Parts: sequence; structure tokens; C-alpha cells
Amino acid sequence: MGEPFLEVQKITKRFPGVVALSGVDLQVYPAEILALIGENGAGKSTLMKILAGVQPADEGELLVEGKVVRFSGVQDAQKSGIALIHQELNLAENLTVAGNIFLGREPGKFGWIDQAVIQRESKRVLEMVGLEVSPETLLSELTLGKQQLVEIAKALSTDAKVIIMDEPTSSLSLRESERLFEVIHDLREKGVSVIYISHRLGEVKKLADRVVVFRDGENAGMLERNEVDHDSMVRMMVGRDISQFYQRTKHDLGEVILSVRGLRSVEHRGHELDFEVRAGEVVGVAGLIGAGRSEMLAALFGARPALGGHVSVAGQSGLPQSPRESLGRGLALVPEDRKGQGLILDMAVKENMSLASLRRDSKGPFLNTSKEEELVAEMTSALSVKTPGSWQLARFLSGGNQQKIVLAKWLALKPKVLLLDEPTRGIDIGAKEEIYLLMEKFAREGMAVLFVSSEMEEIMGMADRTLVMHEGRITGELAREDFSEEAIMELATGGNINKEE
Amino acid sequence: MALGAFAFSGCGEKEDGKASYALVTTGVDPFWDICKKGGEDAGVELGVDVEVLMPSNGDDQKSKLEDLLAKGVDGIAVAAIDPINQAGFFDEVAKNAMLITMDTDAPKTKRQVFVGMDNYDAGWMGGELVKEAIPDGGEVVLFIGRLEQDNAKRRRQGVIDCLLGREKDANRYDAPGQSQIGAKYTVLATLTDQFDRPKAKENVEDMLTKHENVAAMVGLFAYNPPAILEALKQAGKIGQVKVVGFDENPVTLQAIKDGSVHGTVVQDPYEYGYRSIKVLHALAKGDKSVIPENKKIEFPARQIRKDDVDAFWSDLNSKLGK
Amino acid sequence: MKKIKGILITMIVIYVATAILGENFLGGYNQGKLLERTGLYGLLAIGVAFVIITGGIDLSIGSVVCLVGCGVPWLVMRQGWSPGSAVAVAMVVALCVGLWHGFLITKLKLQPFVVTLCSLLIYRGATRGLAEDQSQGFGGEHEAFRQWGTEAIEVTHKFGIPYPFVILIVVAIIAWIFLNKTIWGRYLFALGNNEEAARLSGINTDRMVILSYVICSMLAALGGLLFILNGNSAQPSDFGNFYELYAIAAAVLGGCSLRGGEGTIVGVVIGTAVMQLLKNMINLVDWLKSHMEFLIVGIVLLVAVIADEIIKQRVRKLK
Repeated sequence: MGEPFLEVQKITKRFPGVVALSGVDLQVYPAEILALIGENGAGKSTLMKILAGVQPADEGELLVEGKVVRFSGVQDAQKSGIALIHQELNLAENLTVAGNIFLGREPGKFGWIDQAVIQRESKRVLEMVGLEVSPETLLSELTLGKQQLVEIAKALSTDAKVIIMDEPTSSLSLRESERLFEVIHDLREKGVSVIYISHRLGEVKKLADRVVVFRDGENAGMLERNEVDHDSMVRMMVGRDISQFYQRTKHDLGEVILSVRGLRSVEHRGHELDFEVRAGEVVGVAGLIGAGRSEMLAALFGARPALGGHVSVAGQSGLPQSPRESLGRGLALVPEDRKGQGLILDMAVKENMSLASLRRDSKGPFLNTSKEEELVAEMTSALSVKTPGSWQLARFLSGGNQQKIVLAKWLALKPKVLLLDEPTRGIDIGAKEEIYLLMEKFAREGMAVLFVSSEMEEIMGMADRTLVMHEGRITGELAREDFSEEAIMELATGGNINKEE
Repeated sequence: MALGAFAFSGCGEKEDGKASYALVTTGVDPFWDICKKGGEDAGVELGVDVEVLMPSNGDDQKSKLEDLLAKGVDGIAVAAIDPINQAGFFDEVAKNAMLITMDTDAPKTKRQVFVGMDNYDAGWMGGELVKEAIPDGGEVVLFIGRLEQDNAKRRRQGVIDCLLGREKDANRYDAPGQSQIGAKYTVLATLTDQFDRPKAKENVEDMLTKHENVAAMVGLFAYNPPAILEALKQAGKIGQVKVVGFDENPVTLQAIKDGSVHGTVVQDPYEYGYRSIKVLHALAKGDKSVIPENKKIEFPARQIRKDDVDAFWSDLNSKLGK
Repeated sequence: MKKIKGILITMIVIYVATAILGENFLGGYNQGKLLERTGLYGLLAIGVAFVIITGGIDLSIGSVVCLVGCGVPWLVMRQGWSPGSAVAVAMVVALCVGLWHGFLITKLKLQPFVVTLCSLLIYRGATRGLAEDQSQGFGGEHEAFRQWGTEAIEVTHKFGIPYPFVILIVVAIIAWIFLNKTIWGRYLFALGNNEEAARLSGINTDRMVILSYVICSMLAALGGLLFILNGNSAQPSDFGNFYELYAIAAAVLGGCSLRGGEGTIVGVVIGTAVMQLLKNMINLVDWLKSHMEFLIVGIVLLVAVIADEIIKQRVRKLK
């Protein structure tokens, strides 16, 4: 393998009350794809921020091509050939592709921008990532997947030798992910190394030359390409065996609780949706990004008023108009965007949990604080929410615990139908497992669970039945015994329909 | 474009054949309503159009004047807000329309004549009223809307100079931050309120707190004496602190009748408006004889005390058609 | 308590400083006047605090003060109405004003800044037209009615608790209960922090936003009424000018975040008191000149906001 391009020696980083990294070593060789995995809080992100010059280390050293370097800012790291692509893309939607690639380091003099250089250089790096768009295209006109490629092109234009990608596929569709993987392979051919951080073990397995596992701020071990498999990765991440990640038990289904007839969402006004979910059933909704899955849940819940159709919950039927009305009928929605739609980040855990049931539990208009405390205590233990106290602001909890708060908010109302939109996005593997156990428990207790997921493993692991969507319509339905990645992909890309036509 | 068009039309009549003139004030105030009435009465008498514009500040005055030029009036009478700095602009206006000043002069401009009085002299008269109210001397506080406008500065200076027994000098200026201490009378402070009336009252209250021995308060703008009275009334100090006012706010006049205000200095805003229009019309007809030697048509201010307040008030009401 | 510590200390410091540096500051008369002014301006600040908590803003407060401050004496003196019916009409108008703002902001999705900026101009213009730019007041009449703005509950010979302050305290207590003890208060904070999450939790957010604008306009109207009862003179062209800014400044001083979701009533009242103390200090301390008023108020406000932000960031880092 030769000499490492980048070497991390005994790096330690402390935050008040926490040691985020303790004496970590890591080597990155030229032209390799190094996957970095670990639960949230394991220290991956902290290390990547140190590598990219976002924050300094307390102890230890960084070596680039054998020489000790000190980064006092992102630009220093860029000069040494290291670029970081954040999970949430750092792009300006109102600028053109070229404008984004050169944002902050426009070539030219005295404030005058040399457009010729920009055009030439943009074309070069866009070609490298195989993105066939004009540099003059507005970024907002591109899909998320293509924006991701622009971000990579931007990194390449700084002559990056190491590109760090933090959860790059978290908002990409399967097809877009595939495209990204090609580009990553391509980069390796061209001598660029990629540090790939992901929670998605399937991707990691597919992509990585080596996998380094982090646990509790330490380097917990390394797997060579031929050693990489799902179970060993999980074992190293959590430090124990997880014999069965997706625990589904067989139980009898009850009668139909949720029945959807001719539902039309604002986004896909031409398509009518029809399906049913029974008590105790867990139904997955698969599809590519933009297939209209989240929009379907939103319409079903009245988050965006539906254009037409009937949603009947345990016999009560009507056109969903508002969340308030829907939750009265026994529907609950855990939205995809936890921070933007699920939580009030700057309110206490307690206040978040009781928000939806406040009206039911109040004495007239007055808060019933003793009842609120009771409820919060009950939910905190039932969902094993880890928080220093119910006064803690939701902002300061981990993703998994935040998701549990959102769940608690709805469970307090004892809903008949639970709608989940990407329930485990961005939360670590331990918390994922807990969420799956909860979904299983709810179903066993007779709730109807409908969940949207972009993770194939999750769909196949958790669902009794899967609806597959493509461009706003349901293209097919698969029973658990018919699940396969190929079958789902075919429906998700509209294959079935094409055949029919 | 509009300016050019106007220049070509000479002092041309509007389409309906009526001459048109405008009065432009320094602000919005009942004082100006009286002036407006005078102007309008003159308009009716002469059969000409009279428009009265009340800007909210100096910038607004400028744009209102520009609008008038664009519209094409035959003559404008303006009350200057800042004579020194507006001089250049006034000269521009004077090129395109007949321009005279009223109430506050802008002597170093091409205005044809000034109709009004000198605020310094009016202030001096106010000072005399204070001397009558507290003949044994004492501490005096002045209250005013703002000192940025020239008439306010001169009026205040007149009061101070009179109280301190100085020679008359209209160009003197004492900084508002300091007390002016004389042999018998001390002017402790001049407080501004930027036309915020609750603030005007708060200023009086704070001065009652700070200076327990204050003997007299002078309200230099029309709404200041009522604000002083209100604060004194709530503090139970009516009569204990003497009040001298300016202008003819009904509350002030009533208080003179009741004895809670010693007196007020009034100008003749009705006459300013009335005479301005007459002068403009005469000038439009080419009659230059209306312009006196010193280019000032003066209406001296008057002191109104308890004995002549009734006569003054009924005369005022009859002019206003009440 | 934690949230208002900074502003409370600020108030005490200014209070003590003025007591030492100023003349007769501690006298009963001056203390009564300070309470009176806190009462008058505090009503506006509490009103705007409701709107700020939802993440909105109301720039029309000063114009509503003008509308009511000129409108009530106009109805009473020029139109011969009884004070009671004039006040009733003023409150109904304020209610409609609030509903209208809320409607435009929630249903037509207009920006609060734009809506209330237009209102600022419209209500002032309308008042000027209505009153024909004439000064409004009660002359020497309606003393009993005016007592609401001028009288005080006598404590000692020189010191009394002014009615406007009593009214403020009553309003503040109701507002405090509303914000802290009712579900509506909780809803306001929730939607101010994250309107979408609140809506998805089944809260009728539009209704709550409209309610906050109604409260704001009605308190502005009540404030405007007390201002005219107290001062007895209002000029349509400038009565209440910039009062929305004083109210917003007091609310921000008192811990309201313009991003929404934060604020305490006690803080807002103290914030108002700080503003009034500063104005009083400038007049009472010899070497402070009155033209420094805006300078000093601006600097104190800025320092308070900076200090608040630094403390917040430090707390956040520790966690």
C-alpha cells in the first residue's frame, strides 16, 4: 500500500464533560475508499472536523505526506488537499453550479470575477464527477443527488486528495446513490481517497476497501475488504452480538383500521391512492426520493390538506383537512424532518411530550401540570428515553432520544394508526434497534403502523407488507414472503407500469 | 421637465384662468391652521386658488416644494425650517416661481419679501412676561419641541437674553446643555421633546423632581404650555410655579383666564397667511410697491395677559369663523 | 427567574446610579411618575411581547395609540359621545385591527413586518384625516373619566400608586397566567419556536397567531387611551410616533427573542421600567444632556442584548 497520504497520531479532543476522542490513530492511503462507521457520539464527526480544519485537536498530530501540519481553518486543510462534504450540503441554491463551485474563492482581481476561468474549470470538475449539466444551471434546479455531485466537484476543484463524505446518501434515492458510488470508484481510479462515513452498512459493504470502526471516542478496530460483513461490523460498533436486529414476531392481524380511498395529494393531483392497513400490521412504503411517499403521509394526516378522497380510521371517514382533526380520529404522524417538523427544539422534553395531549388533559384552558408530569414519567420509562431530566431542552438530546420524544408525544394520545416517515434517519444503530422494537410492540398491541423508508434493509426487515410508489402512484404491493431487493427496485423505478403499458 | 415647462409658461395662469398660490408651513399645528384660514380667506377675497401644505420635516418640505413647482403654481409663501442650509434650494425655487417667506425668514436668499415677525423679539417679549410673573427673580426652565429650526433657536435666545439682561443680539446662541446664570434670573435648562407630547409632559415632571425651587416654566411651542399645566396640575403645583407660554392654544388661553398661566406671546398667523397671499397676488400682477425698503412686512408679536385675553380670544374665533 | 436576572440587575444598577447621581430621584413624586410611565409604556410592551413570542412583529402600535388617543377625545368632544361608548368603540376597532392583521398574516401568508408597516401608515393617515390634523384633548372637561389616567392610590402624602400602573399590574398578572398556566400560552411558545411542528401536533396555529395580534392591538389601544387621559393632548401627526419601537425595545430588553418562542412578562415589565429609568436619569443627572437620550438608550439596549447572547452561548457550550 505504500506510505499513507494522511496520518492521524494519538489525537485527543475534549469537550466540557466529555472526551470525544481519546488517542485515536488513523491512516489514509492514496487512492482508497475508507469507510468510517460507529454509533452517533462515537467520535467520527469530531475527527472529521479536525481533519478538515473546522476545529483543532487538543493533543496529537496530523501528518500529510509524512509532514506534520497544523490547520487553523478550513482553508489550511484545503491547501493540504483535504475537503469535507457535510451531511447537510453547504450550497447556495440561488447561485449557479459554477458560482457554487467557486464560492468564496472566485478567480480574478479587484473584485472582478474571471468568468472564463470559472467556466473552464467548472466544466473540467463536472466532467470528473460525470455530471452533465451546464455550469450556468441554477443549483435549485438540480435534484439532491446532483447537488451532491456538485459538492464533490467543488472539492475536486480545490485539488483535494482526500474527500470526506459525511452520510452522503442520507437524502439520496437508490438510483442517485448508485450514481454516487460510481463516481466514488472513479475518484479512486484518479488517485483520490474518499473517507466515507455512513450508518448504512449495506453501502459500506458494497463500497469500502477498508472499514474502520469507532466506538466511544476510540478506534475500535479495522476490517479489510474481505472481512467486511454485516454482523462483524455491528458487533464492533456496539461491542456485542446482535443476533437479530429486526425482531418481528408472528401475530394475528385484526380488522382493517385504516382505509384510504381515492386520496389525492396537492403534489400529485392526478393520482388516486387506495390501500388498507389492518390492526397489528406493519406496512412499509418503499420508493425513490420524490416518489410521493412523504406527500402521501402528509395528505393522509392533513398536514397539507388533501385534494380529494376518503380516509377512514376505524370506521370514521372523511377528507383529511388538518392535523388537529386527524389526531382526533386516531391518526399520528412522526414526520421525516425531526428537527424541523417533529420537535420544538428549544422546549423541554416534558413540554414536547405533552404538546399533543395538552388539550385533552387540561382543566378548561388551564394546564394540568400534575397530569403532565405523570404522563411524561410514564412515557420516559416506557420508551426508555435517556435524558438528564424532563426539563432538558429537546435540542440537547441525541437523535434517537429525540425520535423517542416525538413518538411519546403521539403515544400519549393512544393513536389507532401510526404513520412514520423515515423513522430511523440519522440515528445510531443502538437507537435504531430500540425504535424497531417499539414498532413491533405497537403492532402487537393492535396499532396499525405505516412507515416510509429509503433503507431497503429496514423495509425488508420490518414490514409485513410493502407498498411501492413511483411518481405519485402506488405501483405495486408485496407480501413479506415476496420481498426482494430486485422486486422492490423494479416497482420503484416504474418497471411494472412500463410493462403494462 | 416639469421645471422647464413651467419656465416657459411664465407666470401663466392655469387653465381655468385662476391664479394659484401656495402656503408651505414648517409642520402640522393648530398655529398653522389659523394661518391657513387667513390664506384661504385672502384667496376667496381675491378669487384665486390657495393651497396650504403642512410638511412633517425639512426633507418633506423640500419635496412638497418640488411637487408645487412640478404642478405649476404662480407663487409660494414658505416658512423656512433651516434658513441657512435651505438657502440654495430656496434660490432654485425662486428661479421657477415667485417666492416669499413667512413666519420664519430666510434673508440670505432670493425670496422677494418676508411676512412675519422676528422670533427673537417674540422671545424677548416672553422674557418680559417671565419678569412680570416672578419679579423677585428665580430659576426658570424652558420647554420646546426641537431646537433644530431657526425660529425655535431665536425665540429661545430672546427669552434668555431678556432674562439675563443682555444687550439685544439676535445672532447670539447659548448651547442648550448649559444653565445660563444671570444676576436675578437663572435659565436652568432647555428641554426638547421632538414633538412627542407625553414626552413633553415627562420633561416637565422630571424638572419638577430635579429642581424643587423652579419659579417659572416657559413653553416655547404651542403645545408646551398645556403640557406644563397638565404636569403642574397632577403635581399640585399650579400657581406655585409660574407659567409663560407662546402661541394661542385654547388650553393656554383658558389658563390665562383662570390665572394659572401668567401670559402668552402671540403672533398673528392669520395675518401671515392672509397677507402672504395678498402680497403674492400683487407681485404676480407686477405691483412691486408692496415690498418695503427692508424687504420685511412685519407684524410684531403681542403679549396677552389676563386683562386682554377675552378680547384676543373672541377676535381669534371670529377670524376662524367659529 | 434565570431569564430575567440580567435585566433585573441592569434595572437595579441604573436605579442605584440615578439615586446617587441624580437630584431628588428617590422623592415620592418622582417614584410615582416612574410607576405611571412604566404603566403607560408597559401595556404596549406586553402587547408586542405576545406577537414577538409567536415570531412576529407589530409596527403599528404607535399608530393604534394615535388612533385611540385622538379618536376617543374626538368622539367625546367633537361628536358628543359618552366616554363609555367612545372607549367601547375604540376597543372594538382595536379588536378588528388585530383580527385584520392576524388574517392577513395567517391566511394570506403576508409578512408581519410588511402588514404592520402598512398599518402604521394607514392608521396614522386615517387619524389625521378623521381629526383633520387638529389637536385632540378633553379641555378641562371629563375630569372623572380622566382620573383613570391621572389619579393614584395614595400611600403617603407625596407618593401614590398611579392608576396606569395598577392597570399594568392587573394586565401583567392576566398575561402571566395566560402564558404560563394555560394551554394557549404553551401553544404560543411552541409555535413561536417551530410553527410547523406545533401545527403537526394538532395545534390550530393560525388561530393562536391571530389571537396574539388581537391582544397586541387591544393593549396598544388601552395604552393609547391612558396616554390621552394622562396627557390630555394629542396631535394626530405625531402622537405615539415610534412607540412601537420603545415597546419592542422593552420587550427585547426583557428577554423576548425576535426569533420567537421566548419571553417573560416580568422581564417585559422590567424592560419597560429600565427604559423609563434611563429617560428619567438623563433628565435628572446634570452632566447627562437630553440630546444624549437615544444614544444612551441605544447603547444600554445593545449592551444588554450582547450580554444576553454571550450568556446564552456559554450555557449552550456547557451542555
